[in-house]
Amino acid sequence: MKHCKPKKTNEKKGRGPEKTLLLMGLPNVGKSAIFSRLTGLDVMVSNYSGTTVDFTEGPVRFAEQSYMLKDVPGVYDIKKSVDEAEQVAINMLEDRPDGIIFVLDALNLESSLHLLMQVLEYGIPTVVALNRNDLSASRGFTIDHRVIQSRLNVPVIPTVALYSESLDLLRYKVTETMMNPKTDFLIKEDEDARWAEVERIVAKAVRQRKDADWSDDKHSYLIKPFPGILIALVVLSTMFAFVIGVGMGLRQFILMPLLRGYLFPFIENAVGMMEISPVLSEMLIGDYGFLIKGIEWPFALVLPYVITFYAALSLLEDSGYLPRLAVLLDGLLKKIGLSGSSIIPLLLGYGCGIPAIMSTRSLPSRKARLIVVVMVSFAVPCVSQTGAFIALLSAHSLLALFSVFFISIFALIIVGLVLDKVKKEAVPFTLMELPHLLVPKPALLAKKIFLRVRHYIKDGAVPMIIAILFTAVLYELGAFNVLGQWLSPLVSGWLRLPEEAATPLIIGIVRRELTVLPLIEMELTTLQFFTGAIVALFYVPCIAMIATIAKEFNVRTAVGILIFTTFTAIFLGGLLARVGGWLALLM
Amino acid sequence: MQNKTILEDINTRSFPVRSLSSLSKGDSGTVYDVPENRLLASLGVRIGKHVRVLSKSFANGPLILLVGSRSIVVDRKLAEKIEIRK
Repeated sequence: MKHCKPKKTNEKKGRGPEKTLLLMGLPNVGKSAIFSRLTGLDVMVSNYSGTTVDFTEGPVRFAEQSYMLKDVPGVYDIKKSVDEAEQVAINMLEDRPDGIIFVLDALNLESSLHLLMQVLEYGIPTVVALNRNDLSASRGFTIDHRVIQSRLNVPVIPTVALYSESLDLLRYKVTETMMNPKTDFLIKEDEDARWAEVERIVAKAVRQRKDADWSDDKHSYLIKPFPGILIALVVLSTMFAFVIGVGMGLRQFILMPLLRGYLFPFIENAVGMMEISPVLSEMLIGDYGFLIKGIEWPFALVLPYVITFYAALSLLEDSGYLPRLAVLLDGLLKKIGLSGSSIIPLLLGYGCGIPAIMSTRSLPSRKARLIVVVMVSFAVPCVSQTGAFIALLSAHSLLALFSVFFISIFALIIVGLVLDKVKKEAVPFTLMELPHLLVPKPALLAKKIFLRVRHYIKDGAVPMIIAILFTAVLYELGAFNVLGQWLSPLVSGWLRLPEEAATPLIIGIVRRELTVLPLIEMELTTLQFFTGAIVALFYVPCIAMIATIAKEFNVRTAVGILIFTTFTAIFLGGLLARVGGWLALLM
Repeated sequence: MQNKTILEDINTRSFPVRSLSSLSKGDSGTVYDVPENRLLASLGVRIGKHVRVLSKSFANGPLILLVGSRSIVVDRKLAEKIEIRK
């Protein structure tokens, strides 16, 4: 099984030897919550070399000793490993970390113990945190952590990720273990013997109350068609309304007045006072003026929606509602070649296509991955583009704005139906654990949103600013006029847009929202705005997405998606311009 | 301990074996046989385990099982291959 050469990436340069701690456990056991509480804000997402699996790592300090804490992808079993996440977990263990914090889930004691026993076989000093012990009590049973401790010969401390006292205890225990490492654990190499041992421990450690109710039945209304679908519609439209409403409020009443009232006049004055050539001055403050648009587009038009979208999505994620939505829709999604779990990458795609493509790794088949990736590239606008659509259309026609999103969903269904027929391959079984519904913790939520917004600024806003800089230079040098004339048959003839609309089509290859934003300042009819928006919706996903697809799949798939989206977008745009024209004549 | 229960069941042959997918909501039983699958054991669906059907999703969607204290989502097609003794 050692086919992947264990090698660490992202090793910090110029630093002395630092101890490595792994944070391991099953998926959905509150591992990330513990990670988040132990680390500060300087965490980073790293890629495990030779694989497509990402993990989070961040420095921590326990009693004067600093460690690099790595949040290992949650896995169920590291013996029957087939998927990449499990292979990464194995590789990280084979890298011989200095210690392991193993998160044992009180609600999943059996599987947690089984994985723990597999991990202990590596003989690495381990501290076990028995997490979610508070929830077990409310479900009518208690776990005696001392039974596990004495049976497996490993330190076990009960933790509740939310209380800092239990984290202090964890830090103390890790320090103690690292100073005096012990690895004489109880090992059972045989699979059946291991399960038998696990069941023995569980039987001894768990004390159940007589009236214990283990069922989660009271939430089953979320996964019944009625009222489940109704609730899903209400939840998703509330989310949509929140993202757009609050985002628009932030933009209109806070960011725009600040920029237009204070910052831009100041910049314009400053540039005016400098004695520079008119061309250079136009590059800075003209139509595509870098100092104006380079601030306004990424920070005033797009950032508000990035904040509200990730706030809403993080809330849905942390509440445990998303898996229920997946179960509810599983039967229906199977009919278009997908499984319920594909709803998560699709929703992520409404934020940014890149994490969406990455998260398709967890989907059970290549076919499902490909369908979701084509859907996200083709008809799921990212949050930047959604912000741009709202900026473009809300002032002209709300009907047109909603139609864009309606057409997006309609196109998704068509893509699914067609690809399901084209690629004949059985959809794999849906098999997963339904996490419990939880009231999200504000502090964890805030940190999650902060990290995602920071990621947008680094990987979204900065490339957008650079693209605007290039556009400003090329625009003032007249390059777009030449290209506009050259593309005129397509843009004016077929799409019935003014020649200058060639510019967004060209710069839109770089960033999705740039297909939309330049249209705002053009004098167009509502039909033309709508045509522009529909072309933009289906048009090339951004360069970063194409690169991600090439990396995750292959160059052929990436080029295929590039050609397919460009062709369809322009074809549909022209069709819409004509049909819309006829409809206008009829009315 | 659990093996003994299975043996008793085999000896008495008093309970019929049915597929998990044929159970209705609220029914429960003991797992008699599971197909080869890398996740079922970790999710708690192992021979001799007691399971209860919490719900069955519409449009031939998955079953929600209660195994111990966990809710497990099992595809209808996979559930057809899991045998249960009521």
